[in-house]
Amino acid sequence: MSTTDVVAPATTDELVAALARATPMTRLLAGGTDLVNDIRRPGRQTDLLIDLSHMPALSYVRHDGDMLRVGAMTTFTELQADPLVHEHAFCLERAASQVGSAQIRNVATIGGNVANASPCADGATALVALSAEVTTLDGSGHRATRPLRDVLLGSGRTALTDGEAIVEFAFAALGNEHRSAFAKIGWRTAVSVARLSMALVVRFDPVAEVLSEVRVGLGAVGETAFRDAVLEGLLEGRPADEESARILAEGCADAVRRSIPGRYSLPYKERAAVGLAYDAWNALRICPPCEPAWG
Amino acid sequence: MTEDLRYVGKSYPVHDVAQKVTGELVYGSDLNFPGMLHAKLLLSPIAHGMVRSVDSSRAEALPGVIRVFSHLNSPADTYCRARIYPGQECAIDETLFSEHVRFVGDRVAAVVATSQAIAEAAVALIEVDYEELPALLTTEQALERADVPIHADGNLLYEHHIESGERVDTSGGVLVSSTTGTPRVHHAALEPHVCVAQGHSTGGLTVWTTSQGVYGVRTVIAELLGLEYHRLRVIKVPMGGSFGGKTEFILEPVTAFLAHETRRAVKLLFDREECIRATMVRPATETTIRTACAADGRLLDFEAATTLDSGGYAASTPDYADHMCEKVTRLYRLPHYDHRCQVVYTNTPVAGAARGWGAPEMITAVEIHLDKVARRLRLDPVDLRLKNLIQPFDIDPVTDMSLGDARVVECLERGAVAFDWTARRARARGKGRYRRGVGVACGAHKNGMFGHFPEASNMALKMNEDGTFELSASLHEVGCGVVTTMKIIVAEVLGVHPDLIAAGEADTSTTPFDYGTFGSRMTYVAGACAEVTAKKLKSAILAAAADVLQAPVEELVAREGVVYVAGAEARSVAFRDIARFGDMKHLPAIRAAVTYYATSNPGSYSVQFAEVEVDCATGLTAVTDFLAVGDVGRAINRGMVKAQFQGAVQMGIGYALYEHVDVDEAGRSGVDGFKNYHMVNAPDMPDIDVLLVEHEGDHGPFGAKSVGEIAMVPTAAAVVNAVNNALGTELSDLPLIPDRIIAALAASAGGGA
Amino acid sequence: MELLLTVNGTVWEVSARPTARLIDVLRDQMGLSGTKEGCGEGECGACTVIVDGKAVNSCVMLAVQALGKEVLTVEGLAASGELDTLQQKFVEQGAVQCGFCTPGMLMSAKALLMANPLPSDQDIRTALAGNLCRCTGYKNIVAAVRAASGQETVAMEVPSEKEELLADLAVPGLAPAKLDEGGE
Repeated sequence: MSTTDVVAPATTDELVAALARATPMTRLLAGGTDLVNDIRRPGRQTDLLIDLSHMPALSYVRHDGDMLRVGAMTTFTELQADPLVHEHAFCLERAASQVGSAQIRNVATIGGNVANASPCADGATALVALSAEVTTLDGSGHRATRPLRDVLLGSGRTALTDGEAIVEFAFAALGNEHRSAFAKIGWRTAVSVARLSMALVVRFDPVAEVLSEVRVGLGAVGETAFRDAVLEGLLEGRPADEESARILAEGCADAVRRSIPGRYSLPYKERAAVGLAYDAWNALRICPPCEPAWG
Repeated sequence: MTEDLRYVGKSYPVHDVAQKVTGELVYGSDLNFPGMLHAKLLLSPIAHGMVRSVDSSRAEALPGVIRVFSHLNSPADTYCRARIYPGQECAIDETLFSEHVRFVGDRVAAVVATSQAIAEAAVALIEVDYEELPALLTTEQALERADVPIHADGNLLYEHHIESGERVDTSGGVLVSSTTGTPRVHHAALEPHVCVAQGHSTGGLTVWTTSQGVYGVRTVIAELLGLEYHRLRVIKVPMGGSFGGKTEFILEPVTAFLAHETRRAVKLLFDREECIRATMVRPATETTIRTACAADGRLLDFEAATTLDSGGYAASTPDYADHMCEKVTRLYRLPHYDHRCQVVYTNTPVAGAARGWGAPEMITAVEIHLDKVARRLRLDPVDLRLKNLIQPFDIDPVTDMSLGDARVVECLERGAVAFDWTARRARARGKGRYRRGVGVACGAHKNGMFGHFPEASNMALKMNEDGTFELSASLHEVGCGVVTTMKIIVAEVLGVHPDLIAAGEADTSTTPFDYGTFGSRMTYVAGACAEVTAKKLKSAILAAAADVLQAPVEELVAREGVVYVAGAEARSVAFRDIARFGDMKHLPAIRAAVTYYATSNPGSYSVQFAEVEVDCATGLTAVTDFLAVGDVGRAINRGMVKAQFQGAVQMGIGYALYEHVDVDEAGRSGVDGFKNYHMVNAPDMPDIDVLLVEHEGDHGPFGAKSVGEIAMVPTAAAVVNAVNNALGTELSDLPLIPDRIIAALAASAGGGA
Repeated sequence: MELLLTVNGTVWEVSARPTARLIDVLRDQMGLSGTKEGCGEGECGACTVIVDGKAVNSCVMLAVQALGKEVLTVEGLAASGELDTLQQKFVEQGAVQCGFCTPGMLMSAKALLMANPLPSDQDIRTALAGNLCRCTGYKNIVAAVRAASGQETVAMEVPSEKEELLADLAVPGLAPAKLDEGGE
C-alpha cells in the first residue's frame, strides 16, 4: 500500500529528469499490458512510475542512410502498418501482426516487448534476427548503443540499469536482394503466446543464386530470443531450393534439442520445430520484393 | 400445426438485450450498496494438509479491516453445496473454512474490509502454518492410499452399478475395448463468480446471487446459519454466464456468513484465477468400454467402467455418476448393458455440475468407442450407428421410461445428407503436412428430472388493469433466453404479442418455489407449466368476457387481445376492458396459479458432423466445417435455439482440442487465467450450420424439448473422431492438444515404418 | 492523485491512486459499469474501450495513460438515446446471450468499423480475436458486425495466409518447400 509517484514526461529533457530520479523500485511504463498487473501484485513496491506513453518523440519508423530506426514507443499496430517496415523489415511486420490481440497491439510497444524480456516475445525474436542495436537514455542524458543480444540476458532479465530507458532500435534496412519472414506456433491461430517462433533473414544473390547473410532468430526455446549460428551456417552459400528448406528444418530441430535438453516440452518442440522452419521458409515467399535500392 | 403458430418458432433476442447492448444492465459484479464491505478469501496454497495455526493479528491491525474469519471462529457444521431442497440426500462434507485443507484453493480464511484493496492487502498478512499431508492427485493414488483419508469415510466417495437386460451369446462376435479420458475443464463464464449479501440488524439476511437456483441457496444458507427461511431472502441478479459453474452454492454460504456476522453488506467477487482454482470444474473422467458386436454391427453386449475424479469435495459428483449411467441406453438399443461407476476424492479442484451433467463425458467415451468398433468391422460409422440407435417410443431399460418421440435416427439420416457425409468421407485425407478428416457423433440427453425427483414447477400469471400480463416464476436467466421462452409460450396461448408479457426472475420472497434453471428442465417442464398456466388464465379471461358480453363461454373466441362472440363479431371486448371491468365490478381478479407435475422425461438428441484439418507438423487442429442436427421437438425461439447449438459447439470444440485444468506434482494447476486457459476464439471458429428436427410427440409446450445441454453432448466426440479419421490414429485422451497429436504421430511412425 | 479524463465527450475530474487502472476509474469513480472485467489480464476483451480511436483493454491500462485522450465506452455509443447501428444489429442478429462480453465486443467492432468501414469476415474475426465469448460461437456476432457495415450478404473471404503460402507463387530464386511426413 505504499505510495507511487507518477511522472509522464512529454519531452526528452523531462524524460531525462525523470530517469534521474530512478531507484531500483522505479518502473518504466510503456504500453503497460504486462506491467500494469505486475506493479499491482501484492508486495510489489513501486516508488516511481515513468509513463512513456506521452512521448510522441519516441514513436516513429524512419530511414537513416542504410539503417531503419524504430522508436521504442512504436506500437505493434503501427509497426504492422508501417510501409518502411513492410519493405525493409518484413519479419518485424509479421511478428508485430501476431502479437496478442488488436487491443494489445494498439498499446503494446516494441520497447516494452524487449524490456519485458519474455523468452517468447515476438518482437524481440524478429529484432534479434535483424541484428538490431538498442539505444538507451539515462538520467544523466547519456545515450548508449549496444547490440540487442547484449541487452537480453534471460527470462525477465536485461542488462538495463535502473533509470535506463530504451529509446530506439536500429538495424540495417533489408534491401531488394534480402527477404525476411517470421513464423510462430502458438496454442491457437491468434492471441497466443509463442510456443516456438522463428525470424528468418536471408540475402539471395541473383548472380551466384545462393543464400548469404543468413540470420535465424529463435524464440520460446530458452531463456531469451537468440540467433543460432550453427543453423545459419547450414544455409550459408546454399541454393534456395527445397533441400535448403529441409536442412533448415532439421537444423531447427537440432537447435531446439541443443537449447532445451531434457525439458518436458522438448518432445513436442523438436518436432514442431520442423513445421515452424517450413512455415518461415515458405513465408519468405510472401516477403515483398523491395523497391529499387534506396540511397 | 406449425403454420398456426403466431409467436412460437420465430426468433427473438434475449429479454434484456437493450440493457445489455447499452451497458446499463447491472450484473452481480456491478452491485454496490452504501456502506458495503469487501471480502477476500485466503485460499490454501497446498493440496493437502492440516491448518496448525492461523495468525490474523497483522491483518486485523490493518486500518480498514473489519473482521478476519477462519475455522477458529466460524461454524464447524458441514453442508453440501449441491443440495437444492431440504432433506435431499447428498454428500455433506464441506465447511465454511477448512482446518483440513483438501486442494489448492480450499477456503482457509476471509478478510472483510472497507475496500477490495485493503481486503487483498490484509489477506497477504495472515500467517497460516500448515502440516502437510501426502497429496493424492489421481484417482489411482487416492484409492491406493487408504491410509491417507481425504475425508473421514475414505477416498472412495461413491459407487454405482447399473445393469439392464440379459447377457446374450457373443461367441463369434467382435470384441472391442477402449479407454477414454475426459479432462477437468473450467466453465469460463465470462463474468467471474460473485455474491453480495446484506446482514440486517434484525438478524435477517438478503442475498443477491448470480445463481441458477435461489431456493437451493436459501435452504443451504438458512440451515447452516440457523435462520428461519422467511428471514432470508435470496434474489437472482443478472449474470454473465454459468454453464453449470454457478449451479452449486460456492460463494453464497460464505458471503452470507460474513454479512450475517458483520450485519453489513458484503461483496465477495472472485478474480479469474480464483474462479479457476477455487470454484468448480467439470469432472475429469476415465471410462473403459468393452463391447461385443455381431459381424453386421449390431451391439450385443456393452460393459462400461467409469472413474470420476471428485476433487477435494463431493459437490454433486455422486449424482453426476448416476446420470452417467443413464446415457447409453437413451441412445442405443443394448441387449445387455452393465455400467460400474466410482467417484473418488482427490486433492484436486472440486468437480461438479457442468453443462450436460455427465452426458458429454459419457457420450464422448461411447462415440469414440463406436468409431473404433466401426474400424474393426470396416463399417461406415453412420451405418454402424443406424444399426443400433433407439427408435421413437422405445422404453429405456435403465429408467423403465419411454424415450418419447425420439428422432435420433432422423437426425443422423438427414444430417448425413446435409453434410454430404458419404462423399466427404471418401475424399482423400491427404498424405502431406495437412490431413483432412470427418467425424460423426450422436448424443442423448434428458428433459428435466422426472424419474429422480418429484419434478414440478410453479407459476402464477395475472392480467394487469391495462390488459398486459405478468408472469411470476422463479426463472434464472443465464443467457439462454429462458425469460423470452416463457413469454413466447404464454403469448402463444393468450394470442397476444410477447412484448405485452413481463416475466421476472427468481426471488424467494416473491416468486414461487422452483428447483432452478438447470437439468434441461426449463423448456420441457417450466415451459409446460407456463403453457398450462396461460391456458388457465385464458379460461378466466373468457369467463369474465362471458359476463361482460352476456354470451356463453363456448361461443367466445380470443384473438390479438380481443374476445369476440363467434358469428357476431361486432360483439367484442378487449382484454384491457375485461381487466378494468373486472376491477370495477369486483369480479374475481384475472389470475391463475398452477403447479405442474411432469409425467415424462423423453430424450433430447443431437447428431453432429465435424470436418477437421490437422497440421501434422505442429499438431494443431482446425475445425473447418461443422453441422449440428438437433431433435428439439419444437423450437420455441428459433434464433436462440440455433445460437445455443453454435455456442455449445464452440464449448465442445474447446473440450476436444484445447481446454484442461491439469495439476502439477504439488497439486497446483499451471492454469491461472485466460492467458494459459485457451478457449476457441473468433478466428478459429468455423461457421456452425444447424439443422432442427421438429415434431410434437412429447409433453413439452408445443412439442418442445430441451436444447442447451444436448447441444454440446456429441461435439467433442465428433471432433475427435474426425481427427482419428484424418490421421489413422485412435486418440482418446482429451483434449487433443498438439503435444498429444505429435506424440501419436511419432509413435505410429516409429512403430509402423 | 487528481485526474482529468475525457470520457464519452465529458471531462471528468476524479481522484484516484496512481496505479488505478482505467477500468477501475470508469466503473468505480464514474459509475460506468458497462465496461466489464472478465480476466484482469487483457485476454478476454470484456473491458475493451476505445482510446483515441483505438480499441484497448482497460484492465491492463492505467488511468494515467488515458490523460489527454478521448475515451469512448459502451455508454457513449447510444449517448443520444438512440441505439448505434452496431448495437441495433447486435439485437437483430441474436448476437447477445449472457451479454457480459457484449460491451467489449461492441467496442472492438466499433473501432474496426471506424478504421475499416467494409471489413471482410476475416477482418472481423481478426479484430474480435481478443474478445472471448462463451455463449454464442461468434457466428451471430460476426454477422452483426457485417450487417452494421451495410454488408448484408456474406462478405468475400480473402484467402487465408496458409492458402496464399501454398499457392504456387512465382518467386525467383526461392523454391517452395512442402513438408511431407510420409504416407499412411
